Amino acid sequence: MTLSSTPLVSVEQMYFHYPRAKISPGGSGWTLHDISLSIDLKSTVGIVGESGSGKSTLIRVMCGLLRHQQGTVRFNGKDISEYQGDGANELRRQNQIVFQNPRRSLDPRMTIRRSLTEPIRALQDRTPDDDELITSIKRVGLGPEVLSRFPHQLSGGQLQRVGIARSLSVNPTILYADEPVSALDVSVQAQVLNLLMDLRDQMGLTLVMVSHDLGVVSRMCEHIIVMRHGRIVEAGRTSDVLSRPSSEYTATLLKAARAASLERS
Amino acid sequence: MLNLRNLRVTIDDYEIINIDELTLQAGSRLGLVGESGSGKTMTAKAIAGLLPNEAKVSGEVNFDGQNLLTLGDRELAKVRGKRIGFVFQDPARSLNPMMRISKQVSEAIRIHTDLKGKAVTAKVTDLLRQVQLPEPETLLRRYPHQLSGGQQQRVMIAAAIAADPDLLIADEPTTALDVTVQEEILRLLISLSEQRKMSLLFVSHDLGVVRFVCNQVAVIYGGNIVEAGDIDSIINRPQHRYTAALLAANPGMPKDDNFSAFIGRRLQTITGSVPAVGRFPSGCRFRNRCQHASDKCATTPSVTASSPEHRYLCWHPAQGGQS
Repeated sequence: MTLSSTPLVSVEQMYFHYPRAKISPGGSGWTLHDISLSIDLKSTVGIVGESGSGKSTLIRVMCGLLRHQQGTVRFNGKDISEYQGDGANELRRQNQIVFQNPRRSLDPRMTIRRSLTEPIRALQDRTPDDDELITSIKRVGLGPEVLSRFPHQLSGGQLQRVGIARSLSVNPTILYADEPVSALDVSVQAQVLNLLMDLRDQMGLTLVMVSHDLGVVSRMCEHIIVMRHGRIVEAGRTSDVLSRPSSEYTATLLKAARAASLERS
Repeated sequence: MLNLRNLRVTIDDYEIINIDELTLQAGSRLGLVGESGSGKTMTAKAIAGLLPNEAKVSGEVNFDGQNLLTLGDRELAKVRGKRIGFVFQDPARSLNPMMRISKQVSEAIRIHTDLKGKAVTAKVTDLLRQVQLPEPETLLRRYPHQLSGGQQQRVMIAAAIAADPDLLIADEPTTALDVTVQEEILRLLISLSEQRKMSLLFVSHDLGVVRFVCNQVAVIYGGNIVEAGDIDSIINRPQHRYTAALLAANPGMPKDDNFSAFIGRRLQTITGSVPAVGRFPSGCRFRNRCQHASDKCATTPSVTASSPEHRYLCWHPAQGGQS
């Protein structure tokens, strides 16, 4: 196997449960059950499923925020448990998350400048200068005046842009976005989704997006993973999976999404 | 059956709602579509007489020939909950966590009907069956936390229709639910409205959902109804620039399942964000975000009708008209 064919992330027969979960001998009780998948460098993957299906838990395990109990998770070919000390910081730097609700994920007592500085200090052990912060805030379509503001002075859409700038400030390889627009107004959602697509292309990012919206995933993601009850039901190229779903569950999900969506030619 | 006329609501001198006219015909399903801060929930609350005390209301809320704004509390209580039922967004917060399901539903029956004793229980069971809950007899004894979100919302609907209302107001009833459950609840609302000839005022931020449920739609922005009429006419030929922009920004699903042509397709955006209450511009509320705005838009547009079933407030409509 040549180096270039190694997937960026590979997960094999991975199981995860939260603390104090009861695992029965039959194997029930796992939050994530027998997960195997791989994500190639610079690909875009959508993870869909209903609430409680384990999609948010899965991305937290993949980027090392939660530790799985069985199976393996590799990043760049190396088991993520082997990233220790400086290696752990490097793993965090390369794997960044944008959370659903920017109002809850940014510290209300910190200026935007400080919020943007923190990950660079923590993960790269240096203090960014003003030029770097201005570049980073402009990249997401905001002006430098935002740097001296506090979160409560910004709109939801502006805050989510700050959240994206913060994740990108450490120059990650892979960006995980957990329902990045579901807390935003309809008229603002499109701006943020387009921004994510642009930044992915400009920065050569690998993008993994958790979403309940099949319309958004079918626009943005070449690959799709469908989850239910902590298992992967189906995975593949988005256009294949959604045009010819092989599982009944995917078909049900698709039918419900189609019923309550506008048709676009 | 329901007609709003010159409805104006202000709080602390901020104008929250200013609706010239809005009509809901008997038996019809009207979607009230808007983003957060647009005034959609406040409009629903104004109809129900549930506005906060500091709100100043003027104009008319005519329901079956009666202006609800002139009614006293006792008279209003005969209408509210009885002839007008309500379903809210988050069933887990609307249901009393300490009360069994039977009591949540029977309360509405006891207050609004003459039924007593076993007849009440029979009616509750029947209502739970009408909202398609499985094993209603067992369910009666359960508490809200023992039910799923979809089941809780069905219980809310059962309580709301207990007194056979003529109008049901549903405020984002499926926003907190998963997409498959959403479809079931929407189908239930449609069939209840058809079977009972019950009108529905359906408040939502999502035009896709509204298209599925409603035959009429009113788009609200900055407290004004900017466009209203027949759902197909508005989705296919939006006139107001805000409606057109909102439709274009909706991700939607690809026509004819052509997913391979959909990939990488950018969305059309609307610049800026919804202003805070009191920060909307004068004249056309949307003009500071509109690409087509001119000086003329600083004055309030007059109502234009492109057909008897389609009215809008825009100086520069999207298709045809004067520009």
